Amino acid sequence: MGAKTTPEFKKLHSAVRELVRDTLNPNFEKVEKEAKIPEHIVEKFRRLGLFGMSIPRQYGGLGLTTVEEMALIEEMTYTNACFRSRVGTNNSIGSMGIVFDGTDRQRERYLPRIASGEWTTSFALTEPNAGSDASGIITTAELDGDHWVLNGNKIFITNADTARLFTTIAVTDEKKRARGGVTAFLVERGMPGFSIGPTDLKMGFKGSHTCELVFKDCRVPKNNVIGGLKMVGQGFKTAMRVLDKGRLVAGACALGAAQKIMDLSRDHIKKRLDSGKPKDALQAAQFVLADMATQIFAARQMLNHAARLKDEGRNITTEAAMVKVFLTETASKVADNAMDILGEEGCLTKYQVEILLRDVRLYRIYEGTSEIQRTIISRNLLKN
Amino acid sequence: MTFYPLDRTQKQIQKAVKDFIKGEFKKDAIDTFVEAYAFPEDIWRKAGEIGLIGLNFPVEYSGQGMGAFENALVAEALCRGDSSVGTCLSMAGYGANLMLRHGSEAQKATWLPMVAEGKVLSSMALTEPGIGNDLAVSTTSALKQGDQWVINGTKTFVINGGPLSKFYIVLCRTDPNASSPASAFSTLLVEAGHEGISVSDVGSRLGRRLMPLAEISFNQVKIPLDNLIGKENKGLDQVKTCLSENRILAAAQAVGIAQGAFDRSLGHVKQREQFGRKLADFQVTRQKLAEMATRIEASRLLTYQAARQFENSPEDHEKQSAMAKLHACRTAVEVCDESIQLLGGYGYMQEYEVEHYFRDAKVAEVFDGTQMFQKDIIANELLKTRRI
Repeated sequence: MGAKTTPEFKKLHSAVRELVRDTLNPNFEKVEKEAKIPEHIVEKFRRLGLFGMSIPRQYGGLGLTTVEEMALIEEMTYTNACFRSRVGTNNSIGSMGIVFDGTDRQRERYLPRIASGEWTTSFALTEPNAGSDASGIITTAELDGDHWVLNGNKIFITNADTARLFTTIAVTDEKKRARGGVTAFLVERGMPGFSIGPTDLKMGFKGSHTCELVFKDCRVPKNNVIGGLKMVGQGFKTAMRVLDKGRLVAGACALGAAQKIMDLSRDHIKKRLDSGKPKDALQAAQFVLADMATQIFAARQMLNHAARLKDEGRNITTEAAMVKVFLTETASKVADNAMDILGEEGCLTKYQVEILLRDVRLYRIYEGTSEIQRTIISRNLLKN
Repeated sequence: MTFYPLDRTQKQIQKAVKDFIKGEFKKDAIDTFVEAYAFPEDIWRKAGEIGLIGLNFPVEYSGQGMGAFENALVAEALCRGDSSVGTCLSMAGYGANLMLRHGSEAQKATWLPMVAEGKVLSSMALTEPGIGNDLAVSTTSALKQGDQWVINGTKTFVINGGPLSKFYIVLCRTDPNASSPASAFSTLLVEAGHEGISVSDVGSRLGRRLMPLAEISFNQVKIPLDNLIGKENKGLDQVKTCLSENRILAAAQAVGIAQGAFDRSLGHVKQREQFGRKLADFQVTRQKLAEMATRIEASRLLTYQAARQFENSPEDHEKQSAMAKLHACRTAVEVCDESIQLLGGYGYMQEYEVEHYFRDAKVAEVFDGTQMFQKDIIANELLKTRRI
């Protein structure tokens, strides 16, 4: 967190740490089993302001610096990943479009509700045939009098089952497409022609739901373009900026999980030593533990450094991509190695590591796969 | 798929399994099994009927009189068809080979045909809570009282230990005063349903969800003296050989799981387009495919060689089987992981299957000895020292 930490933030940081220890961790398996976050926990998130970590103070958010926000996210993911995911879209992809490019009216209408957690938000970009290649989307929006008419399907939309507001990216000019022909819309639940499909069955993240969105002649008021009518055609840039910020977040989530997995592995080794297993027979396991700790140490410094650069106003596109690819791959590696330390017991859901193993797998896929991150990094390196 | 020389019978076996998969492995049904932790009972019975279980049993026990090699071929092909169902079917005879090698004529005649015909599942109870692979410290005991053994203790991660298993091969400490673990244990045949046995499922888990996996406790369980399998106090050696054979089976399953995930991701990248090109046209995708295929081929050869070694050299197969398991399971985990990546968001969805291939691969790697444990075995064989 560095030297600039305020007493106020320190207080919040310990409150979150206590919440994780006293409330979230005891509900770790319950969330997996029941596939949802208990409402009393969501209420606690609201009270701590965790739905609005990154939303400016003037709109009711906490207005944290990036360094502070990443530190909180790391704490919040030192448990079942789905807890953080419940507030994740509000803090990141579901709200940042409005924060970056929204009109004052849009900010005033939506951000306080997002920050308080009264409304949950989602971000709708991915389509069946447009995953890594977001420019390949085919959902269209056509102006018809005072409304835009949207048609198309969006898939894997996080928190769609509870969201009231969907930042939806659609093509408004078929010829220009990603070069000035894509627009970001604010679609509210219940608008005519908009429906939400059943919850996807996934490998992990059982307590965090993704769904398909269907737009069938969905009518959205003309002014619901993020940034207003002057921003028609600028939606691809908005979407890319939104995703840019998400990369550090994904890294922070992976880091929290990796730390948790490492600590569970350490506890297991200690238990075996305490029960009389000779130290020499666990030398290999201890080396694996040492590697986990080393990688996590490096990962944390990377994240912190990139977050600080961002707070200084620097362009961190390359660094953010590096953070995402390194931290998410580290988390997977740590989880993979932990299973070798824990053995058969580690495969059981009640020992938590197997849940985390399945959960962290997602981080290497969503909001830009590792392949996309490597493409960004190398492209930027070769630019000059 | 491979240039390894197979004879006509072996090719016929492969084809029979392929046909069986085509007829019996229905995706919707398998999705339901995976979600509900349900054993694929009908498929298992049919696999027994057409002779896919216990191929290495002699014909008089309803087997095919073949060997570890053919067992491996079948396990590979079944797991390629589906990792979860394939694992269940290829482990339906788990531990029965110990009985085949050491059991009395009566024991074998009673149980082996039922196992091979798909009427009962075979199960073997070795490890105990908290001891991992360290069987030498297991404490479940069997003591002679009059004309009976009295068994006390708890076994866990008992593969097939559910209602379809009618007997358990249990590793018990039978000589509390033995100077070394090598002469302290015996294996006993315990029929299910004896008073004092309680069976519970170990609970939800990463993979192998279709297979019954139990914790079994024995509280003053009394069985006749002639339920001893083979020689008294020679149990650990019997188990060691059986585990070596199981490692070959696990390696073969891993080869099949890896190949099955590879098949699916290959199909995906040939058809999926992003950035105006097939994924298969990207150099990085092609490099991945090449790496995956190369590693699968290496695992397959190592596994086949271990199976041959097991058949030809009953005294010297531990190193080969451990190398095969180590390499094939690692390959399966990494190939399945890469398959998820190649499918992207779809890879993370249950519907696209590779996620359950990954989960089954990872459990295969951890069960029957973790990577570290395999390396311990290999190093011990290389150095011929005692295991630590």
